Amino acid sequence: MTDPAPPRPDPAPTVSRARYDRERRARQEAESLLEAKSRELYVVNQRLMRQAEALEQAVRDRTADLEAARAQAEAASAAKSVFLASMSHEIRTPLNGVLGMAAALGDTPLSVAQRDMLAVIIDSGDMLLSVLNDILDLSKIEAGRFELEDVPFDLAEAVRSVERMHALKAEEKGLDFGVQVRGAGWVRGDPNRLRQVLGNLVSNAIKFTERGLVRVLADLSPPDAAGGVLLRLVVADTGQGIGDDRMAQLFTPYAQGGPAVARQYGGTGLGLSIARQFCRMMGGDLTAESRPGFGSTFTATVRLAVAEAPPLAQPGAVERDFAERLRRQPLSILAAEDNGTNQLVLKGLLRRFDLRVDIVPNGRVAVEAWHRDRPDLILMDVQMPLMNGIEATQAIRRAEAEARRPRTPIIALSANAMRHQIEEYLAVGMDGNVTKPIRRAELIEAIVAVLPRPAPAARACDRPDAVCTPRAG
Amino acid sequence: MKGMVFVELLQMAEELLGEDVVDDVLDRCDLSTGGAYNAVGNYPCSELMTLVQAFSSHVGTPVPELQRRFGHWMHARFVKSYPGFFTDKPDALSMFESIEDEVHVEVRKLYPDVELPRFETERIADQALRLTYRSSRPLSDFCHGLVEACLDHYGQPAQVARRDLSGGGESVAEFTVRLGG
Repeated sequence: MTDPAPPRPDPAPTVSRARYDRERRARQEAESLLEAKSRELYVVNQRLMRQAEALEQAVRDRTADLEAARAQAEAASAAKSVFLASMSHEIRTPLNGVLGMAAALGDTPLSVAQRDMLAVIIDSGDMLLSVLNDILDLSKIEAGRFELEDVPFDLAEAVRSVERMHALKAEEKGLDFGVQVRGAGWVRGDPNRLRQVLGNLVSNAIKFTERGLVRVLADLSPPDAAGGVLLRLVVADTGQGIGDDRMAQLFTPYAQGGPAVARQYGGTGLGLSIARQFCRMMGGDLTAESRPGFGSTFTATVRLAVAEAPPLAQPGAVERDFAERLRRQPLSILAAEDNGTNQLVLKGLLRRFDLRVDIVPNGRVAVEAWHRDRPDLILMDVQMPLMNGIEATQAIRRAEAEARRPRTPIIALSANAMRHQIEEYLAVGMDGNVTKPIRRAELIEAIVAVLPRPAPAARACDRPDAVCTPRAG
Repeated sequence: MKGMVFVELLQMAEELLGEDVVDDVLDRCDLSTGGAYNAVGNYPCSELMTLVQAFSSHVGTPVPELQRRFGHWMHARFVKSYPGFFTDKPDALSMFESIEDEVHVEVRKLYPDVELPRFETERIADQALRLTYRSSRPLSDFCHGLVEACLDHYGQPAQVARRDLSGGGESVAEFTVRLGG
C-alpha cells in the first residue's frame, strides 16, 4: 500500500487548464454547500433560541402562577386561623357568661324544677364548650401550635374520672360497662389530654353500642431505666362495628362514619382525629380494629414518666379553708374586667365569700384604684380597652419599685391562653393565671396560692412568693 | 454518494498513475460533474462506478481487484483521519463489531443525509466472527479490501472466507473471519 500524498518531486509543476477548472469548480461547489449549511445552522440556531426563550418564559409564568396560588392559599389559611381564634374568643366570652351565671344561680334558692332546668343549662353549656374546644384544638394542632402540659397526676384517678363521667349513660343504655386499671400510679404528662382521648373512645363506644358490653383496660408498663412508662388504653365494645370503607376515613377530621352518622348521633367528627393527634404528640398512637356486627376495639398508647405522689388534699377543702381564713383576716380584691357579663360572673363566683370585690373596666382605672385603695390582690383581665392587663401590671410593678411598696399579688384572667402566653404574664410580673371560663375552685386555688400564708408572721412578708415560715409563739 | 470517496479514489489514482493520466481519464468519461469533486459534496454513485471502470480499463486491472486496492487505500485514510476509532479496540473483530453502533453514529453526526451500508456481525467463536455487508451499491470488493486492511492494521494473521449472497438489487457479502494461523 502506498502512503497517500507523498511530497512531489517537481518544485514548479504546471497544471492543465482542465485540472485547474475542475479544482475551481469543486471549490466553488464546496463554498456554496458551506454557505447553505451556514444559513441552515443560523435558522436552526434562531429557532432554538426562540424555543429556549419561550421555555424560560413558560417557567417564569408557571412559577408566578404557583407563587400567587401559594400566597392565596397561605392568606386563606391565615384568615381561617384568625377567624377561628377570634370566633373562639367571641364564643367563649358569652359562654363564660352563661356558665358562670348558671353556676351562680345554683347558689341561690331554687325549686326542684328550676334546679333540673339549671342542670340542663349547665350540661348543654359544657357540651358546647367541649365542641368549641375540639375545633380550637384541631386548629392549633394544624397550625403546629399545640402545647402539651407536663404535670404530675394520678393516672388511676384520671381513668376513674372518665369512668364516672360515662357510667350513667352506659347504665341508661343497659350496657355492661367495666373499667380495669393495671399498674397505675402517679405519672407526669398531660392529664386533660389523656382524659380527652379516653373520654372520646368511651363516649364513642357507648354511643355506638346498643347492647352488650363496653370494656376499658388501662395498662401501664413497668418503668424503663429513664423512668419512662408506656400507657396502653384499650376500649372494646360489642357495638355495630366499622366497615372497611369507613375504617379508612375513621381518623380524618370532619369525616365521621358518613352524613347518616352525623344526623343520628351528632358530634363534629373531630374527636377521633384529635385523639389520634394527641396520642402521637405524646409519643404513641391510636389504632382501631373492627368486625362489623361484632364490635370495635380501639387501642391508644402514650408515653409518660413516673412521678412522686404529692401529699393528699381533701376535695372542697381549699374553699372551706379560704372561707375560714376570711373569717380571721379580711380580704379586698380589685378586679379589672371590661366585659359586663364577666364582671357579673366574677361577682357571682365570689359572692358566697366574705370579701370585698371592686370591679373596674380597664387597666388604666385599675392602676388608679390600686394607688387609691391598696387592695390585697388584683384579678387582671388581659385584653381590655385603653390599657391592657399586661401594661397595667407593668405600671403597678414599676410604681411599687419606685415607692418601695410591698408587692400586690396579681392573677391574670385569660381567655384560652397558651403556655407561652402564661409565661409572658409571669414574666411581666403577674403571679398566677386562671383560664376562662372561670371555675370557682380554680379561682380560689389561684387566690390562695398567691396570698401570703395565713399565719401571724405572714405580715412581715412583703412578697407573696417569699418563703414565710410561721414562727412558734 | 459522499464526495470524500471520489476525492480519495482520484487521489489514489494520481499516486499510482500520475495527474496527467487521471486528467486524461476524466476527460474521456461522460460525467455530469465534469470530474470536479469535493469531499463534502454528494455525487451519483454511478459516476464512481464509471471512474473505477475507466481506471480498470486503463491499467488493465480487473474492477474487483481495483475496488479491493481502493478499500486498502481508504482504510489507511480512516486510520490517519480518525485514529480514535482504532486505539480503543483490541483487535480487528472488535473494530468490525463497532462499525454499526459507533463509527456510523459519528458519520451521521457530520452527514445527516448520508446513505451508509449495513454491517451485521455475529461472533461464531472466541476468535471468529461473521460480518455481513449489505448495500444498494455494488461495492462488495471495496468492502473486502477494507476488511483485509483492517486485519493488516492490527497485525493479526487471519483467514477470510467470502460468500456472495447478493440478490434483489442488493449487494450482500458474508465474510467469515478467523483470527490465527
